Amino acid sequence: MTVSFNSPSLLKLGIVSAFTMFALGACASKPPATDTEAFRAYEQNNDPLEPWNRSMMQIDQGLDTVFFNPVISVYQTVVPKPGRRGVSNAIRNFRTPITLVNDIFQGEGSRAGTTLRRFLINSTVGLFGLFDVAQYWGLPYHSEDLGQTLAVWGVGEGPYLYFPILGPSGGRDITGYAVDNIGIDIMSWVGRADNPFWWQVAYFGGLAVDIKGNAKPTLEELKASSIDYYTALRSAYRQNRAKEIRNGAPAPLPGLDDFDDEDGDGDPFSSLETETASVQTAALPK
Amino acid sequence: MMRTVLISALLIIGVAQANAAEDTRNTDPTAFINQFSQVSIDDILNANIDTVEKTARFRTLFNDSFDIPAISRFVLGRAWRRASDAEKQDFLAVFEDVIVYTWSRRFRQYMGQTIKVLGTSPDGDTGTLVDSVIVHLEGQTISVQWRLRQRGEGLRIVDIIIEGISMVITYRQDYTSVIRQNGGIQGLLTELRKQAAEMLPSKAP
Repeated sequence: MTVSFNSPSLLKLGIVSAFTMFALGACASKPPATDTEAFRAYEQNNDPLEPWNRSMMQIDQGLDTVFFNPVISVYQTVVPKPGRRGVSNAIRNFRTPITLVNDIFQGEGSRAGTTLRRFLINSTVGLFGLFDVAQYWGLPYHSEDLGQTLAVWGVGEGPYLYFPILGPSGGRDITGYAVDNIGIDIMSWVGRADNPFWWQVAYFGGLAVDIKGNAKPTLEELKASSIDYYTALRSAYRQNRAKEIRNGAPAPLPGLDDFDDEDGDGDPFSSLETETASVQTAALPK
Repeated sequence: MMRTVLISALLIIGVAQANAAEDTRNTDPTAFINQFSQVSIDDILNANIDTVEKTARFRTLFNDSFDIPAISRFVLGRAWRRASDAEKQDFLAVFEDVIVYTWSRRFRQYMGQTIKVLGTSPDGDTGTLVDSVIVHLEGQTISVQWRLRQRGEGLRIVDIIIEGISMVITYRQDYTSVIRQNGGIQGLLTELRKQAAEMLPSKAP
């Protein structure tokens, strides 16, 4: 399972951009640079719209409660797990162009080859993508999107943004998301050709139910183990995205020797500070 | 007479082997993680005991395998340095409860997954990063990395990174935010005690 926090919906993009305009009026007040601690926390969080984002998360949770969770619950009752996995596989397969195009944009020739071979195998032997046969033939699934491509090209993540239905995102990722889903996803073209509204609703609604359903156990776990769920999710989203952008390359391990820090200050960022509070930790009971 | 000698010899060999296994566990990161996962699966997850007993066994395993004070220092960061000794001790106690209960909630969801160690690499001067995957029966895998440090008593886990998400970094950002909003470490301790009480395994359905 890949932890995924993205849940797409083309329809909502328009609404979302409208929200973003309003959001500019809901900025968190930036602390003065003289308040070193608060100022650095503000910079590190890179979340200038935090109050706005928090209310967007509440709206998202409200939508989950009144709509998505009941739908997911019915779906999971009616369709047994193997069937749901088939649906997830098929959706992934239909959306192959997004991964393929971005593999190529990133100059990842061998990964693009894997993506293409997976598509050919799963579309035929795998019965229109219902079965992920390719993963057993040494061609495991990976995802790519334009947000990752932009990151590889050196674009910074931009401010953190939370969208109803879509969930956690950021300036860079939401831009990539819009282009992926409007420009590259062939399934969304189908809708635009004759423009039947019901197709857009069915496709992106189904996508949201599939992705939200798959992410639900992970998110519930994070919710139970955290106190400030909003902050924990923001942190988890960014760390997970960083891993996706690295394509599995070894992570730079933050604060490498802080665990071995003899003075026990335990703060990898503390070298930036002038503060010299001394701590004794030797006397601590286990 | 001969038999007694033989049996004693066998016993000595047996004891020596047990000691050797104990020694590798203390210094060999791969053996350490393999044993951690084996004890978790055989003695806790698959054991025919109730959740309360499973939780008690996991607490022992957690205490023996994790460097909780080091993790606490990292998670609280700046706030740790400002905390009084009493606050530090309160935090260590309730943080252990929260982690143990968080894991105990997962016991019921266990479906035969296994941990497969892929390799190790150096992590700083004295540490080791163990790369592994959790393998589901259906074939999906989840990436899990373990950051280990050599301590006097043996190897200790200081972080677990699941699909790129570090346990200590996520807790750190969560708690830092709570401390800032609730005016200090006392506010955090109150929230943690509330959370631990809600997650008590006896309350689990």
